[in-house]
Amino acid sequence: MFPLGILDLGRQRYGETLDLQRSLAKQRVSGALDHDVLLLVEHPTVVTLGRGTKASSLPLSAAQLEARGMEVYEVERGGDATVHEPGQLVGYPILDLHRHRQDLHWYLRQLEAVLIEALTAFDIPAERNPGLTGVWTGGRKIASIGIHVKQWVTLHGFALNVINELKGFDWVVPCGISGVIMTSVAREAGRSTDQLQLWNETKDAVIGAMGRQFDLAPTRDPELWTTPPQNPPLRQ
Amino acid sequence: MATKILMEALSPTMEEGRLVEWKKKEGDAVALGDVLAEVETDKAVMEIVARSAGTLLKQIAAAGATVPVSQLVGWIGQPGEALADGAPAPTAADASGPVVSAAPPPGTAASPKAAATPASDPGSSRVKASPLARKIAADQGLNLASVAGSGPEGRIIKRDLDAVNAARPASAPSRPSAGPSWSVSPAGPGLGYTDVPLTQIRKTIAKRLAQSIGPIPTFYLTTEVDMERMWEARASLNAAGEDQSKISFNDIIMKALATALIEHPACNAWWQDDHIRYWNDVHISMAVAIPDGLITPVIRHADRKSLRQIGAEAKELAGRARNRKLMPEEYTGGTFSISNLGMFDIDEFTAVINPPEAGILAVGRIAERPAVVDGAIAIRRRLRLTMSCDHRVIDGATGAAFLKTLKLFLENPLALVW
Repeated sequence: MFPLGILDLGRQRYGETLDLQRSLAKQRVSGALDHDVLLLVEHPTVVTLGRGTKASSLPLSAAQLEARGMEVYEVERGGDATVHEPGQLVGYPILDLHRHRQDLHWYLRQLEAVLIEALTAFDIPAERNPGLTGVWTGGRKIASIGIHVKQWVTLHGFALNVINELKGFDWVVPCGISGVIMTSVAREAGRSTDQLQLWNETKDAVIGAMGRQFDLAPTRDPELWTTPPQNPPLRQ
Repeated sequence: MATKILMEALSPTMEEGRLVEWKKKEGDAVALGDVLAEVETDKAVMEIVARSAGTLLKQIAAAGATVPVSQLVGWIGQPGEALADGAPAPTAADASGPVVSAAPPPGTAASPKAAATPASDPGSSRVKASPLARKIAADQGLNLASVAGSGPEGRIIKRDLDAVNAARPASAPSRPSAGPSWSVSPAGPGLGYTDVPLTQIRKTIAKRLAQSIGPIPTFYLTTEVDMERMWEARASLNAAGEDQSKISFNDIIMKALATALIEHPACNAWWQDDHIRYWNDVHISMAVAIPDGLITPVIRHADRKSLRQIGAEAKELAGRARNRKLMPEEYTGGTFSISNLGMFDIDEFTAVINPPEAGILAVGRIAERPAVVDGAIAIRRRLRLTMSCDHRVIDGATGAAFLKTLKLFLENPLALVW
């Protein structure tokens, strides 16, 4: 089984993680990076606009959003506008799909399967919504997905609402679907568990499910990063 | 011989893809492996990569077009190479075929012509701009054609518009120095506001609260403001400008209110049944008692006017209001209201919201009251302010934060001078 290097970045600004993702993907394409990677991160509130962003999805101008303390990024991923905010678990798998399956729909469905499996750890019955990529529970949206593929190496990924307050979603029409109710693991789990504990459990559940769905062995072993011919990418 | 660029299948189940954008212009040199274009399907974006080197001779599918898998989207070849006499005429598909051009920009030929001369035609190139840049330009009424792009292939990105804005002279509407004449047009469509669709939670709040308490679910927030410092500030201002009209507390509160609204745009809004309209500018409706009722003349752009301007205008409008000489545009289009009953020795009261505005401030009298200052009881001049909030627009914490800013301005006159 191939390894899946887990990089847990903690809280990091969107732009910094974006640079890291792009650098890792480039190395994965060139072969300088010899294993798949999963970046896990939590972003300060930020609005990102995918390639499918409709003007109606962004009712406020970028300047008005920035006046409310939000950064705005246009990025190369698919999909419409979305929001990241603290307490949302964002995952960016950098996978070489040559080693898995060269099929973007398969990959999107796999990411959904990862999140659906992870949510079972909290007894949250999640499902797909045909035609609307993402993960849903009881008609509410709990996770969003948007990806980019560069020579079959993946960038961008998923955002799972865990303990975030979902406030940022008031300022965009998430994924261009108006009237969507967003929800989070904390809301659906209905437990008054310690937030930090819920956060850590969610992270573990997602890592485990990534490994099973993609048939990879997740590891946080730093040794993994010493084998590629290039320097470890974590140096900033 | 020229090579076809085809819409690639990003998945066996994919039937069509949307060509998001071209990364190479017609006439650009292309190396093997260069990214030619981005294609989107579902929530995935993939790059189309050049499978041969040469020159991008022709873009057949326009950016934004949806193209079936394996359909021709462009040609790579040698400059000058004629495409029409190749085996398959590339133009057959685009004249009648299923390639749908998304919103052909003005100035471009409606349907791509047969590419007999593949040399690039700089005159017809459409303005390339990012979605964000387009949105900003639309908001600001900028013509993108007049902006130089610094992004890839001259694409106009947000940075370029920022540069344009920075270079624009002071004609920009942001806090110009107060002049005596304000050519302010009445509120109407196309003016400075943002309409925000109702989120699910806003819809639910609106429905449930309105069921409970009449058509406008109102709640009230009261705060007491220490006016000692403002009292002194006003006294010295009036002493310094002896020959000018006196500044009243009402003028000061109006100015502070307008300035606080600029900082809390969430309270400077109209309820519009299916959306909320957040105004960029502040126009204060001022309740004026008239013999058989009341009317609310509007002080436009109160945040940008000096205290004396506000005072003169308020006096003039109130005078004409009492004589029933106001024009309709002078008492409509306010974004927030103020009502002052301090002159009747009212300590505090609740005012009724002036729809579609989302809030009104009720101003009581300034009274000497015992207050605790630095741990001791002192006699201080105090003012009670009560804000009525339309809960469909303003939540408790939102209104409270706004009121706190207003209190800060009134208790610290310098904060208003900024």
